Amino acid sequence: MANIAEQRIRREFKEVVKSDEVAACNIRVELVNDTYTHLRGEIMGPPDTPYEGGRFQLEIKIPETYPFNPPLVKFLTKIWHPNISSVTGAICLDILKDQWAAAMTLRTVLLSLQALLAAAEPDDPQDAVVAQQYKEHYEIFRRTALHWTSTFANGPKKDKDYDDKVTSLINMGFEEHKARVALSTNQWDLTRAAEYCLS
Amino acid sequence: MSAETTSQNNNSPSSEDNNTAEEAAGTYECNICLETANDAVVSMCGHLFCWPCLHQWLETRRSRQTCPVCKAGISKDKVIPIYGRGNPNPQDPREKLPPRPPGQRSEPEGTGAFPNFGFGGDGGFQFSFGIGAFPFGIFASTFNFNDGRPAAPAPGSPQEAEEQFLSKVFLWVGIIFIFWLLIA
Ligand SMILES: [Zn+2]
Ligand SMILES: [Zn+2]
Repeated sequence: MANIAEQRIRREFKEVVKSDEVAACNIRVELVNDTYTHLRGEIMGPPDTPYEGGRFQLEIKIPETYPFNPPLVKFLTKIWHPNISSVTGAICLDILKDQWAAAMTLRTVLLSLQALLAAAEPDDPQDAVVAQQYKEHYEIFRRTALHWTSTFANGPKKDKDYDDKVTSLINMGFEEHKARVALSTNQWDLTRAAEYCLS
Repeated sequence: MSAETTSQNNNSPSSEDNNTAEEAAGTYECNICLETANDAVVSMCGHLFCWPCLHQWLETRRSRQTCPVCKAGISKDKVIPIYGRGNPNPQDPREKLPPRPPGQRSEPEGTGAFPNFGFGGDGGFQFSFGIGAFPFGIFASTFNFNDGRPAAPAPGSPQEAEEQFLSKVFLWVGIIFIFWLLIA
């Protein structure tokens, strides 16, 4: 790894660790190995969103050309959001692409991701299915995102109706995650979800 | 080791001093590498960088050159190098790679509006003024007759003629002096 990249990550790491956001448990970053090329981030779901109270893990890879090029970030925790792939965790966020600036840091990236959770941009989607639901059935989107938060990110709020629907598909013999994706994609219509699973 | 001892011996005032020192150091950190800026330059928007860091950023983003901090427009020609006192390395930073842009020193504006005037000859002088500004022409001519040497109506021009005359005199004095030195 180029010297400047490693030196900078060392510095930023200290900066994040002693930041106010860490003190408030809003963001966190830790080393995966001791070369500073691979980090694990965590953000808290922002209040007044379906992600509230959830803890979302992020994979952060530092390229050799950092900070002249952005870190490679994706969600490890499954999440239902128009700008994040529900399959791969890939993120569509301008600052991680062409709007990156060399003065940005791990801290600003994590805070920007938190802001993205609070303000989705469905017109610039990463996950077309989620974005369409966000635009056409916002209430279903909100409940689905909340259901995914409680299932994968340890979110505190449950949606019993949606939980029961997942259970009924499991009882029909479908695998749990497949059932959840089928229901989420088909506006929680059991019949259509079952057909989706079979196709 | 010594730092620990100091902080143990002194109480809160020393830690406050340390914080202030740390903040002061942070003021001069490069916005890219986050270290104290080396071969410092400042952008028009006031953001500080090491020249090598900023140069690499501009090379990485050739098509969209913006300040890494505030995203204002930025370019090689519009950053100002900062020269501190007591630079331990007297090498001209512009000769280093990547080259740092030179400081721009604009010349003070000249006072003479008609710089060639005194040497145009009396004919040319009176001709141009007779046509261009009739009253000045009369004044200038009168002045010319009284003074016996070319003068211009615009403020500053007489001084300039005088300066050029003096510089010629000094040049000759200098040449004679060197000549004398060589002979003696
Ligand atoms: Zn720098
Ligand atoms: Zn700026």
